[in-house]
Amino acid sequence: MGWLNGTTIAMILFAIGTTALIVRRDLVIKLLALGLINSSGILFLISIRFRPQMVAPILPVPAWVPIADPLPQALVLSAIVINFAILALSLVFVMLLVERYHTTDCERIEHAVDTEKAAQESQAPEGDSQASDAERPHR
Amino acid sequence: MILPLLPLSHVFLGLTAIAWKASARATLIAALIIDISLLAMAFSPAAHWLSGLSVGGWVDVIGIRLTLDLLARDFLLLTVLLELAVVVYIWRQHVRPMFVILLQFLVGSVIALILSQDLFNIYVILELLTLVSFLLVAYDRRTFQIWASLKYLILASLGMSIFLLGVAVVYANVGSLGLAAIGQTVIADPHAEWIPLAAALLVAGVSVKAGILTFSLWLPDAHSTAPAAISALLSGLVIKMGVVVLIRLAAIFPLGLVLQILGGITGIGGAIYAMSSRDLKRMLAFHTLSQMGYLLIGMSTATHNAANGVLAYALAHGSFKALLFLAAGTAFDAVGSTNIAHMIHTRHLIPLRTRAALLLGTLAIVGLPPFDGYIAKAPLLAAAHGWANQAILVLIGIGTAASFLKLLPLFKGPYRRVGNDPAWQSYVILALPILLFLPIERALFGAAFVLPAMNWVIAMESLAVLGVGWLVFRIHRRTEARPPEGLLRLETATAAILLGFAAVYALLKFA
Repeated sequence: MGWLNGTTIAMILFAIGTTALIVRRDLVIKLLALGLINSSGILFLISIRFRPQMVAPILPVPAWVPIADPLPQALVLSAIVINFAILALSLVFVMLLVERYHTTDCERIEHAVDTEKAAQESQAPEGDSQASDAERPHR
Repeated sequence: MILPLLPLSHVFLGLTAIAWKASARATLIAALIIDISLLAMAFSPAAHWLSGLSVGGWVDVIGIRLTLDLLARDFLLLTVLLELAVVVYIWRQHVRPMFVILLQFLVGSVIALILSQDLFNIYVILELLTLVSFLLVAYDRRTFQIWASLKYLILASLGMSIFLLGVAVVYANVGSLGLAAIGQTVIADPHAEWIPLAAALLVAGVSVKAGILTFSLWLPDAHSTAPAAISALLSGLVIKMGVVVLIRLAAIFPLGLVLQILGGITGIGGAIYAMSSRDLKRMLAFHTLSQMGYLLIGMSTATHNAANGVLAYALAHGSFKALLFLAAGTAFDAVGSTNIAHMIHTRHLIPLRTRAALLLGTLAIVGLPPFDGYIAKAPLLAAAHGWANQAILVLIGIGTAASFLKLLPLFKGPYRRVGNDPAWQSYVILALPILLFLPIERALFGAAFVLPAMNWVIAMESLAVLGVGWLVFRIHRRTEARPPEGLLRLETATAAILLGFAAVYALLKFA
């Protein structure tokens, strides 16, 4: 099982996440897939834990002590916070959409948004038709 | 030590706007003063002490490096110009504190990204920009805005995950995240195994944010549905941040061919979609894509003049695209729609100054000689070598002309005063660079750089492009051929990002 390390698991998670993001129609599942993709990035980053000739960056440590590279761990903290913010915000927006359309199905939402936009387009010219009628004698 | 404080000051000012609601406008002014003084420092001869600084004084491997170089200086100029225009534009409107804080965060992170010389820092700031623009696009909470910005967030987050994978690959092989250190490692061993993979991941990730096809299929929806002031900032400024990162990456990795191919697809694809779109803001959003083609072609040509041409065109595009979006916003307020046919029908209701601004922006974007679109395009045309680059540039020009000719009836009479345009001062701010671009360009890049713009061969070429554009417009108007809208759906856009990454990787690996 030597191949089953952080890097390969990250690749598998990334593949599952992107597949779900494309194939599944449910918006909440899409966001879960996005979370999976983001986590795979974090796992990949943290699996770069040790490089040969590694020198501890701040505290002096004897050369025979094996050390893990602390920088990816520090980077991962920022990445986790960012991904949390993205998931939280997008869930709020999904809630707003669900409140209006009562569905989390992407196709239905897309359809509803398109019809709403089209309705707005056709509504606007009617409101101004009187103005353009008044304009006509001038030409 | 003052440099890292400048982006942060925007955050503090934004928080002040939340704490004391009455101070919202004052913080906008304070932020402008800070940014203008930073710009003055960048242009002052004593600017060498700003040329490189590690935050907190750490060594380069773990320190975050900030630099105010030529690239940063020119994009800083663009930032201040658009910030000023947008602040003037929203001044008379009812400004809510929440809007001010988001605006401050946006400008602050833009400045931080311009200065940044560290790969992970760039990743964090790009994510910050994503989050802030996500909230700003849906600021009015209309359902189509919410849907457009949700699509944007999902796709941009996917792109940033790909970028993060690239950062990890770079760190595993270089052991540092500073751009200078990465550049040295690549020069030392240009054929190393990891380079194509890292470059493809980074380019694909940042392309999602940079408005490059096929990565940025979210852009037309997000930029056309956002409020006018936000559309102007997103199209004029935030998209350019992807360009900044791409320019910095292109200085490290050998990306010439990739940028050329992406430039061709982006420019021509954007122009084709723009020709058939019937909504003004949507057309402008598609043209943000098509004009990105110019920048990419300029970047793929690795000469000094082409590099300066990219900066000049980014500056020019920011000014006229922001002008067009701001004027389109006022026109929408006047007639209640951005449908082009409807706007032409009710053009007498649009204030004259708004129509003048739309006309000026149109003349600039199609590249008519005295305006900044042409003056910035001329060095790119002169520097582009090979028939492929020339052909792509000419085709983008024809597509741009063909789609903007739709607007011409908008500028016919009657010319009567109807209502006052509340924000005409912001048009004046943006019109100044459009009209005075020759001296600006001369001051920024030197006297030799403006020579192509005075070359009558290039001027005639631009006029010929306009003529062909007119013919294409007449022919296209009779046909009902429209490119598929289904490409812009969430699923196709996701798949397009992954396929685009695979294509970039294959190009870098095998070509």
